[in-house]
Order: sequence, then structure tokens, then C-alpha cells
Amino acid sequence: MELTDADLIARVLVDDDQHAFGELVRRHQSNVRGLLRQLTRTDVSLADDLGQETFIRAYKNIRSFRGEARFSTWLYRIAYNCFRENARKRKELVGVDEKLLQAEHDPQTVDPGLRHDLMHALNLLPLHERTAVVLCCQNGLSHDEAARVLDIPLGTVKTNVLRGREKLKRTLAAWGPN
Amino acid sequence: MNAMIDDETLDRQLREAAPYIDDEGFTARVMDNLPVAQREPRWLRAMILLGLAILGSGIAYLLSGGFVREGVIQLSNFPIWLLLVFAFGCGLVVGAFAVIFAIRKTPEVRDLARLRF
Repeated sequence: MELTDADLIARVLVDDDQHAFGELVRRHQSNVRGLLRQLTRTDVSLADDLGQETFIRAYKNIRSFRGEARFSTWLYRIAYNCFRENARKRKELVGVDEKLLQAEHDPQTVDPGLRHDLMHALNLLPLHERTAVVLCCQNGLSHDEAARVLDIPLGTVKTNVLRGREKLKRTLAAWGPN
Repeated sequence: MNAMIDDETLDRQLREAAPYIDDEGFTARVMDNLPVAQREPRWLRAMILLGLAILGSGIAYLLSGGFVREGVIQLSNFPIWLLLVFAFGCGLVVGAFAVIFAIRKTPEVRDLARLRF
């Protein structure tokens, strides 16, 4: 029988069982790295470094995990904090270069090969909308869970998801076959 | 402009567009960089706690100036049934604290809705 996340966490807490923590890493690495790749706009190397930092922090602070949220939600929150700290350090104020963003929004400037690429369209969204869409629409978090991860009000999450979805739909419609 | 897709379709496409990322040594790298557990062994923690409890009791006895000794002598003069009631009451108080502490530390008990029967 496969152990649940709670069982594995208990083993880490009680016995300092690093193998149990390794199993938790294996289970959640894809989702955490996927989120970070979206946040870093597919900078795989940076995303994986932040992913590593996320799991190391999770291990160090696992005693503060109270089980009120899912373990994956807790990991997303740590991952998002790692990303924000890194962005601050790199002085990349996460809204990125608005001119570049505008240029990418223009369907004429987009590589035709990418026109149907949903992930590319997702990357064109501003960070706050992209993050909310990735968490709620792609990873299946509730608005409430996403609000906890991002540490912002529930209403803001709902607005960001709504706006992000609308922008995605408009972009995809504009890129679609005429 | 083409027709826009609905929310449900967009969410499904987003989920399908997110590939599973193969581990490719990621977990091993994380495990290699985990800090070494620095917790002292359990028996040592128990010994430290016991030692401190004995030391604290000794100091309290010495500082009480005979108060504790007189209390114990008086207690030994009590009828046996009263001592049993006293011991039972102490057990209840300690047990109640233990239950409260256990509930606070156990999410499944704290949130009864999560219990699986």
C-alpha cells in the first residue's frame, strides 16, 4: 500500500527519515518545477535551482507544516517565496519589460509556429495573472488555496484568474486560423 | 477574430499542456544538499529532561524550608480513600492536559471532517 503524504511527513518528523522526504520530493517535484518554470518564463536552469531551494527549505521547516493545507499547497507557497526573493535579488521587478510584452502581444510579431502554443500565450500574461492561472486552472488549486500560496486577498486571486483567462482566450482567438 | 473557447476547455487544455517533468536526478541533488540531521538522540533528550526535573524538584525542596516535607507528612496522615481521590484527581488533570495537547498536535483530530471511518 502506498504511503500518503501525511504518513511520509510523520516519518520525517518522528525519525528524521530522509528516505521518506526523498519520496515526497519525487512525488511533488514535477508540479513544483513546472510552477517555477512558468514563473521564470521557462528559464529551466533557474527554475530547477529554485526548486532545489524550495525542497531544502521545506525539509528545514517541515515542523512548521501544520497540515491545515495540502502538502503541495505548502510547497507551492515556499516555491513562490523562493521565486520572489530571487526576483528581488536580481532586481527583476516581476512585471518585466512592458515594451517587450506589448510587442509579444501583437500577433504580427509572433512566430507563426507558436501561434497555437498555449504555453507561449501563458507566458505573455503579467506575472500576477500568470501565477493565478497556473495555480488555479493548471494545477487545480481552489481560489482560497491560491490566495494562501500567494498571500493575497481571495478577491484579488479571483480577479487575476478571470483577467488571465480572458486574455488567454483573446490571444488564442487572435492567433487562431482565419 | 476567431471564436473564443470557454473556461472549461481552456482549463483542460492548460492541464494537458503542462508536461510531466522527469526527475532526471533532481531528487538525488536535493537529497545530497539536505542539511545533516543535528538532533540529539532521543535517550539523551529524555535524560536531559529527567535530570532537569530532578534538579528543579531538589531546588524547590531546599528553598521551601521544610514546607514540602511537612506537606508530605500531613498527606501521609490522610485516610487512604482521600489519598486515592487526590491521586485520581491529579491523574484527571494531567490526562486532560495531555488530551488537549494531543488534539492540538493532530490535524485529523482537530478537524473531525477529515477523519476516515
